Amino acid sequence: MNWVLLWKIVLLFTLFGYFFLVCIVTFGGIGNIIEMLKDLSAPSEEP
Amino acid sequence: MDVFATNFKTVDWVIVSIYICIPLVIGIIVRKYVRQLSDFIVAGRSLRLFIAIATLTGTELGLVTVMYNSELGFKHGFSAFHIGIIETVCILAIGITGFIVYKLRQLRVMTIPEFYEMRFGRNVRIIGGILLSLGGILNMGLFLQAGARFMMGVTGYSNPAGLKLFMSVMLIMVLIYTVLGGMVSVVLNDFLQFVVLSIGMLVGSYFAIQKIGWSNLFTAPETVSSASWFNPVAEGSGFGMIYVLFMVVLTFSAGALWQSGTLRALSAKTPKVAKQLYAWSSVSYLARRVIPMLWGICAFVFVSQSPKLLSAFQGPDALNSQFGMPIFIAKVLPSGFLGLIAAGMFAAFMSTHDSYLLSWSSVITQDIIAPLKKGHLSDKQRLLITRISIVTIGLFLLIWGLWFEAPVSLWNYMAVTGTIYLAGAFTVVAAGLYWKKASKTGATLALFAGLLAILGIGPWTQGENIPFYLSDKFIGLMTFVIAILGMIVGSLLFPDKGTQQEVTQ
Repeated sequence: MNWVLLWKIVLLFTLFGYFFLVCIVTFGGIGNIIEMLKDLSAPSEEP
Repeated sequence: MDVFATNFKTVDWVIVSIYICIPLVIGIIVRKYVRQLSDFIVAGRSLRLFIAIATLTGTELGLVTVMYNSELGFKHGFSAFHIGIIETVCILAIGITGFIVYKLRQLRVMTIPEFYEMRFGRNVRIIGGILLSLGGILNMGLFLQAGARFMMGVTGYSNPAGLKLFMSVMLIMVLIYTVLGGMVSVVLNDFLQFVVLSIGMLVGSYFAIQKIGWSNLFTAPETVSSASWFNPVAEGSGFGMIYVLFMVVLTFSAGALWQSGTLRALSAKTPKVAKQLYAWSSVSYLARRVIPMLWGICAFVFVSQSPKLLSAFQGPDALNSQFGMPIFIAKVLPSGFLGLIAAGMFAAFMSTHDSYLLSWSSVITQDIIAPLKKGHLSDKQRLLITRISIVTIGLFLLIWGLWFEAPVSLWNYMAVTGTIYLAGAFTVVAAGLYWKKASKTGATLALFAGLLAILGIGPWTQGENIPFYLSDKFIGLMTFVIAILGMIVGSLLFPDKGTQQEVTQ
């Protein structure tokens, strides 16, 4: 088994995959925060 | 080259000082949104997918995470990457199947011991609460120590009294910050941590790889064996097959049931979002392992190139290997950016402490003392007990961190102490949700079996030529096996009387 090749692939996948995740989550998260604060401002459903 | 030479300048101190005030401001602003207990503990169960991913990553990516993973990279090289792969596959499996988290979210519980009572009765909840808080508090026992070592390495403060000084200052700040807590502010701070730390880690990785060089990075330093640097099951790697198996059960159970992470799943808007959260977060679980490990590997390659630095980490007076990564980034990252990384790490440290202190003190109040008093506690008394618990745990962390050194590595210490809770909790919750014959006796035996993991932090686990049955990894793995056996044998020999609880249906 070529461990060096495996870890190179894992490292590159991690760096690029995480970069894309951070972009998506950052922009999506801002929208989610606004919606969450709206939810919490609304009258409560629980007693 | 001076071991503690650093690029950390006055401007970096200014950045750290300003940045750590932000969580306090957020805490004050969002207090108006917290009106009931579920708002406080699970943010009103209002988390949508992206913010849930950010907050799960923010919580699971604390300063101590970066420290123990970078130490693994520093000591074991690329062979440590296997832990990241195993954890990622486990988290993805939980996300695809919804194993445990989907059903727990459906049941609308707020803590794991709450499920114990729902399924097995009050006594199991109390026993589970005691073991959860014991394992949890021991598990965070070295957070302060690791955090102080990071700040010493980055700021270049090498005075022998530095550890005590940084630990004391950081503890005081954490205790003040925790009083302002609550899940809504924790969620917003976690989002901030996620953005700042993620950008910092990606840019920091660029600087680290640039300093070492891509081809040098994948060449084992002369001082280590090439096979063990890359292959986790090679002799001398410090891991081996038993360790790999232990990591499979540990990361799977921790993924499903580690209190701080599961709390995010329980805060999700729907059970489906809880599942999606895990599937998406598998990438960030990989990153929280691989990127700090990469920094640790770069640090070791860097140290190996300088005889003076290398000698500082060898011999009887060697620096603790946790210093490797912070000393490296203090020399490689430019001033200003270094301050931003330090500030992000420090804020992450406070945010993690806040979550954990609140978790364990709430368990002591809600799952141990309140059930013992049979609910005869006013809100004022509960708040007082929680506050006393927070301060007592804080003092314990200070004393434990000054006195105790992890026998093998910081991660192994975390893994073994986490097993005290996880071995029992995983068995009890999985059986409680999916096995109708699971009984109170089985649950009690499984929970107590978790205590065996304490043997895994004893001095007999230290050293290179110890028999395998005394190693922390074997003790950890066996604890899970004995807990599962305890549940099966106890449930079959002593079944519960009466009708089956509705929880499993």
